[in-house]
Amino acid sequence: MKLLTKTSLNFLSITLFIFLFGIVAFYFLLRGQVNQNINLDLEKRKASIIKQLNASDTENRIPPNPNERIIIDLITGDNKIPDVIYTDTLIFDVAQHRYIPFRKLGFITTHNNQRIYIRIFKSLEESDLLIVRIFLMLTVLFIALIVTLLIMNRITLKQSWKIFYNTINNLSNYNVNKHEQFALQESEIKEFEDLNRVIQTMTDRINADYINLKEFTENASHEIQNPLAIINSKMELLLQSGDLSENHYKAVVDAYEASNRISRLNKTLILLAKIENRQFPESEEVNIKLIIDNQLELLEDIIDSKSIITKNNIEKDFSVMMNPYLAEILFMNLIKNAIRHNVDKGQIIINQTENTIEVSNTGPVQNMNSEDLFKRFRKFSNSSESLGLGLSIVKKISEVYDFHIFYEYNNMHRFFIKFNDLK
Amino acid sequence: MKILIIEDEKALSDSVVEYLTTEGNLCEVVYNFSEAVEKIELYEYDCAIVDINLPDGSGLEIIKKIKENQISLGIIIISGRGSLENRIEGLEIGADHYLTKPFHLAELNAHLKSINRRINFSGHNEIDSNEIKILPDEHRAFVCDKELKLTKKEYDLLLFFISNKNRVITKISLAEYLWGDFMDTADSFDFIYTHIKNLRKKLLKLGCADYIQTIYGVGYKFDLTIG
Repeated sequence: MKLLTKTSLNFLSITLFIFLFGIVAFYFLLRGQVNQNINLDLEKRKASIIKQLNASDTENRIPPNPNERIIIDLITGDNKIPDVIYTDTLIFDVAQHRYIPFRKLGFITTHNNQRIYIRIFKSLEESDLLIVRIFLMLTVLFIALIVTLLIMNRITLKQSWKIFYNTINNLSNYNVNKHEQFALQESEIKEFEDLNRVIQTMTDRINADYINLKEFTENASHEIQNPLAIINSKMELLLQSGDLSENHYKAVVDAYEASNRISRLNKTLILLAKIENRQFPESEEVNIKLIIDNQLELLEDIIDSKSIITKNNIEKDFSVMMNPYLAEILFMNLIKNAIRHNVDKGQIIINQTENTIEVSNTGPVQNMNSEDLFKRFRKFSNSSESLGLGLSIVKKISEVYDFHIFYEYNNMHRFFIKFNDLK
Repeated sequence: MKILIIEDEKALSDSVVEYLTTEGNLCEVVYNFSEAVEKIELYEYDCAIVDINLPDGSGLEIIKKIKENQISLGIIIISGRGSLENRIEGLEIGADHYLTKPFHLAELNAHLKSINRRINFSGHNEIDSNEIKILPDEHRAFVCDKELKLTKKEYDLLLFFISNKNRVITKISLAEYLWGDFMDTADSFDFIYTHIKNLRKKLLKLGCADYIQTIYGVGYKFDLTIG
């Protein structure tokens, strides 16, 4: 949820809450006030009725106003009726065919030593109408207030958060490997200025660390090549001297092969680091069928030595935007993997469905986790010469180009690459 | 052949010198940029083996200087940096070969031989080793003047053997010479064996002595002293 929506929602729910409670309280206050007024009115009438009663002995005169009706009862015996009582009541109006709310005042007075119970009424219809109107006006006013406040809030917030979104945008485009100056927009708001300053120092530090690390790994791996070259050359010379015993020969050869493995490992790790650092920026249209055909030709010897049958069913004009060198490495590793884990007289089939390429091989069933498959140094064969880096190179290249790579077992080992950048 | 070796790692240049001098080559070694510049200005060489990273300068500069004076001089770069751009850069300024450290001495030797042929027998050249004759410009090989029908890999193999005759050649260096370092060596050992078996069969059929000796666990030796 966006911050703006969140604060607006909070604001809205709090104001609605206050509004509801306020309106209920306001209703009772208003009601009380109106009742008090009516009571006063009734009180005045009570006084005038009593005055009239005392002034004349004539029979009850019914007031002309039907709204100001009076009911007079004689009280016989000890009727327990309170002296003065205000109540709200509904009276059926014959003319209008409906009940109308009235405020009633009942009181007891004595006339000619006879106790009489008098009830006078006043219609509440007009005052109720007034209350409803007040409430309607109040609600409209309130809603207008909330809406304008919300809009104002949104506008000012948007304005002040602009810098923040700009910073986020810059951060998401940030790439250590781009070697670009990372600059953030200046802001008048102190918090954002602080944030930007912190981010700036952080990215500066990341940049410096990254360059340091890169230099270190580059230097380290290149400097390793020199002593390795010395070891290898000395071993080769040792092998030339005829006066080695068979045991010594074996020891020298083992050491020689091991140092060769280190150097291959080193070269592969340098390659992986370079792919990771996106040091192959040039992209062009690469014809995939051609690349695969070339790789199959290069690997012909090893394919023939296992009598593997290969099929390349890629469409002639299928091409992908990527670095041609990386494309070669990608398919070389996939095909090498398909060869290594294949059986003698097996098959390698390369199929295409739309923008997905599938490289499948008829290797023996293996219990393996498709997640682990692409991890470094994960080996599923007992070949000690295999570095276990081929598929992680494939994975790395796929990551660089946002290709989706996945594995399935369904009679054959199937590796899929889904290209998304298709022309 | 007169060879100048420009390499600051003394142990490595010693190995190179030891391997190459037994072939009757004349090797001179310098360990830094300034000495190298001095040497190439004063003397003439057939070939230079140049390391790119020198303590006081870049080997690439030396190659540029060499190419200004002696166009025909063969150049082999040996460098710790083996990326595509490095290779292209090296070959563009006129190097004949680019070897990434660690390299095999046998491979270096084979490249030197091919440079030697280019320089000293330009136009017509042939390699004679006992009853085997190779015409490298035409990629053809003969045994007792009868033509040997070889596949490309078998031909490369024979040339590599003859370039490093009477020496122990490891399986790894054979594999890397024939298939480059993209091939995992363990995979290639099997079919190296197949190629060698076929080559040997073809050689024997035309009456060649059995020069290819297998050294168990190590590799092979093309031993011309047998015949």
